[in-house]
Amino acid sequence: MKVLFSWLKEFVDVPGTAADVAARLSVRGFAVEGIDGAGDDTVIDFEVTANRPDCLSVLGLAREVATAYGLPLREPAEDTALATLIPVRGPRSSDPGTVISVHLDDPDLGPRYAGAVADVTVGASPEWLQARLRGAGVRPISNVVDITNYVLLELGQPMHAFDLTKIGGAEIRVRRAKAGERITTLDGQQRALAPEMLVIADARAPIAIAGVMGGADSEVGGATKAIVFESASFNANSVRRTSKALGLKTEASTRFERGVDPDLPLLAMRRACALLAATGAGKARGQVVDAYPAPVSPRRMALRRARLSGLLGVTVPDADVTRVLSALGFGLSPSPDGWTVTVPTRRVDVLREVDLIEEVARHYGFDRIPATFPALRTAPPAMDPRIARARHLRTILTGAGFSEAVTFGFMAEAAAAPFAAAGNLASIANPLSETFAVLRPSALPGLLDAVAHNRRREQRDVRLFEIGNVFSKACGERRSLTMAWTGASDVPHWSSPAAEVTFFDMKGAVERVCRALRLEATTETHVEPWLVAGQTASLLSGGRRIGVLGRLTSALAERHGLPGDDAVFVADIDLDAADAAAGTREVHVVPLPRFPSVTRDVAVLVDDTLPAAALRATIRRAAPPSLTDLREFDRYQGKGVPEGKVSLALRLTFRAADRTLTDAEVQAAMETIVKALVSEHGAVQR
Amino acid sequence: MADASIDTLRAHFQARLAAAASERDLKTIDDEFLSRKSGSVTALMQTLKTLPPEERRGFGAAVNALKSEVETALAERKATLEASRPPAGAVDITLPGREHAVGRIHPLMRVRQEVEDIFSRMGYEILEGPEVEDDFHNFEALNMPPDHPARDMQDTLYLDAPIVGGIWGGHRASQNGGRVPDAQVRAATLLRTHTSAMQIRYMKTFPPPVRILVPGRVYRRDNLDLTHTPMFQQCEGLVVGEGISLADLKGTFEALLTGLFGDVKVRLRPSFFPYTEPSAEIDISCQSCGGSGCGVCKHTGWLEILGSGMVHPAVFEAVGYDPDKVTGFAFGMGMERVAMLKYGVDDIRLFYENDLRFLEQFPL
Repeated sequence: MKVLFSWLKEFVDVPGTAADVAARLSVRGFAVEGIDGAGDDTVIDFEVTANRPDCLSVLGLAREVATAYGLPLREPAEDTALATLIPVRGPRSSDPGTVISVHLDDPDLGPRYAGAVADVTVGASPEWLQARLRGAGVRPISNVVDITNYVLLELGQPMHAFDLTKIGGAEIRVRRAKAGERITTLDGQQRALAPEMLVIADARAPIAIAGVMGGADSEVGGATKAIVFESASFNANSVRRTSKALGLKTEASTRFERGVDPDLPLLAMRRACALLAATGAGKARGQVVDAYPAPVSPRRMALRRARLSGLLGVTVPDADVTRVLSALGFGLSPSPDGWTVTVPTRRVDVLREVDLIEEVARHYGFDRIPATFPALRTAPPAMDPRIARARHLRTILTGAGFSEAVTFGFMAEAAAAPFAAAGNLASIANPLSETFAVLRPSALPGLLDAVAHNRRREQRDVRLFEIGNVFSKACGERRSLTMAWTGASDVPHWSSPAAEVTFFDMKGAVERVCRALRLEATTETHVEPWLVAGQTASLLSGGRRIGVLGRLTSALAERHGLPGDDAVFVADIDLDAADAAAGTREVHVVPLPRFPSVTRDVAVLVDDTLPAAALRATIRRAAPPSLTDLREFDRYQGKGVPEGKVSLALRLTFRAADRTLTDAEVQAAMETIVKALVSEHGAVQR
Repeated sequence: MADASIDTLRAHFQARLAAAASERDLKTIDDEFLSRKSGSVTALMQTLKTLPPEERRGFGAAVNALKSEVETALAERKATLEASRPPAGAVDITLPGREHAVGRIHPLMRVRQEVEDIFSRMGYEILEGPEVEDDFHNFEALNMPPDHPARDMQDTLYLDAPIVGGIWGGHRASQNGGRVPDAQVRAATLLRTHTSAMQIRYMKTFPPPVRILVPGRVYRRDNLDLTHTPMFQQCEGLVVGEGISLADLKGTFEALLTGLFGDVKVRLRPSFFPYTEPSAEIDISCQSCGGSGCGVCKHTGWLEILGSGMVHPAVFEAVGYDPDKVTGFAFGMGMERVAMLKYGVDDIRLFYENDLRFLEQFPL
């Protein structure tokens, strides 16, 4: 709300500068967006929160300024020119030449309507009036229209002016639109009306959309000689819904949907008529018709002294309570434990005691509230294990060379499609753009975009991970860990050539994650359309699939803007499923071995299609319990190894808990193992 | 005349020797001065023949003295250089070491962890909630019935069909008779616009007192620009109990914000949120100008950092707490805002591009 400083001063004799006023109000609930010079005047731009429609006006802000400075407020009603017209209660009049008849067909949506007929000479407004409008960011149009805008800005009451000759039957009917009715609004748009919308109609058709915008047919123009001023109350929700349905937001609708003082229409009408006379734009003909069958009575509520000090944590002196509330226009009478407060009707936001406490606190000063600390009366529970897990994973993964990425939870449907079956994507009903049309079924597309972003910016070696939620219709919301790795397998160094990342680098990282999560995980050959066949594995634990890892197909890589011939390895792990399969985090230390171990190496030639896991399983089965460790240390194909075969070398470690093993024992074990390898896999010992 | 040429040569030799850094340099100098064919000392000696006989003797002795001086100096320097030669097996320790790849924690998560740690020290339970929500928990129970104008402040993304939301609070089930009744969003219809939705779930499940911090992602129907993203990170806090006051809120935030930003002043400024009353924006004094006013703080000396307030009685009523018995405060803080101020980031999009050149600016 932009206000000229001189206009504010018309209502309160504030001594300070505009900057001083801005500083005081900004700590009383009205943040200041800017202070700008306007000729020899100043415009202050106040941010008015949605609960304070009464301050979308110069008078409302002046009341706040007066309260802040402890100064009296000059009410505009004191202007004697406003008293020249005497209102008539009741909708009809016997004198149709000077008044307009008003019918409230739907008092729930349109509870009050004041109308007055005036003769006018349409022209330009005086310069002082135009300057005030311009200061507030409103374009001057003509004296009649400018007066309605002036009253809107000054008092907060939206007004409208109709050309009297264009109102059929000299009657105003406030009613719901009829099915099929249309209206061309002042902005030149033709709009279809619906029966839940409130309109102002003449005897034949709608001439305005109530509280939103007037109709073009009854617009005041250069040839207009007589007008009807409208100053009315409309139901806030109704205006809001209509404005939303039509996609039409105006100064009037903004105020009505937040709530305009039901007591204001008459005062505003008097002010408008007085301005007509004062600016020489015209003269009201007769009386104001004020249809207001069920006047709103002010709310009354209790304000308890103990509640006030309890909620604020400070005792506010009674004198400050009465000073602040009275200055804001509240009526106070003492009660045994505090006050009974009468709330002015303009304060649509004050509905209960706590709202009064806020009023007192705002003007008493938040800076006078002491800083204390809430007492802790119960022991705090442990941190959510999911947060602790994320922190743990961050440590593990950054230690493994992965940087953490954060990507959006939604994405384009095409990017999501490879990761969810058709119909399983959770789509957004009102996306802002195609880029954010569906909730992500996997974090991989977002992560690949981040990898591609880095690749395009001379970052060849990229390792990223993200911990975040993924969504689908079938599985709902789940937590996942996603990893991507392209480029070198380690930091390049002068001592050895840089190796490119392989499947086993990524598998190693995944295995580390599994250890961190206390997962006994195995891998199994797997097929995924977006991963390269033969370099894809699913991760299993506790008999359930908990993730997948492998090399990205060049087709998918290219779709994300990555060079198709670069190896990109990815992994995607369902952390919720991993949690279900995880072992205990409790540690029980086993005694360290007291007897030495014996190691033996064995190299065998086997078919190159035989999985190492099968070989291991056979060795485990054939070996005595003293086999404590088994690991592959060489795999060779090439010169000296027949086509279709592979030479695999394994190192076996034997140890007994209660004695030193003899050579003969170990030798016997090795012979049994080799025999088993020969008979089960046709292995040839090298 | 002849003595002068000896002195010149000596001075020249001393300058050359002083500049010599290696045995190779010494060999060059040796050749230059002492070579039988072309050495400059040798050449000087050969000028002996051209001198008058009475001068020869003295000159010859002087040149010989210079020669032995050069020889001694070169030998001494050579010995020094040899003594400083690296021992066998020495490596060039000036070469770069072998570095193992190490990644960085995302700056938004750094800030989030820092906030979690501060609240953890203050006895808060830190927990997460679902990102997809229903209208009741995201709006209605937070004193935002349908048609409430404040819903415009948070433009919402809706789902085209309901899905099941994530589970929260499973770890607390044992303390609640095995039950977390409001643990799962059975039919989520929207993306939560704030973490405040968890206030409702928590209070519907657990009785007061409450002291929680809920970090997580939230979503708004916003375009991506310098200061907005359609998804961002929030930390929501809620403290409920008997006698909790606005003064407690103030004390808590002085502790948090000085913890996060160091020596800053903290101020509360009245504001409006439907779910708190009174509501307050919390500002810190501008670090760029120290509070005197500059471009960063729009010449106010203050920077808005988060929204807070005393829990609205209507919220307590919605979850079955008695607003006459308990009071509380709540707050919501954007991690992007904190990170931008703390790290001097002026474009919010940097957080979501995940550019390694950005991420690697944060220390390990």
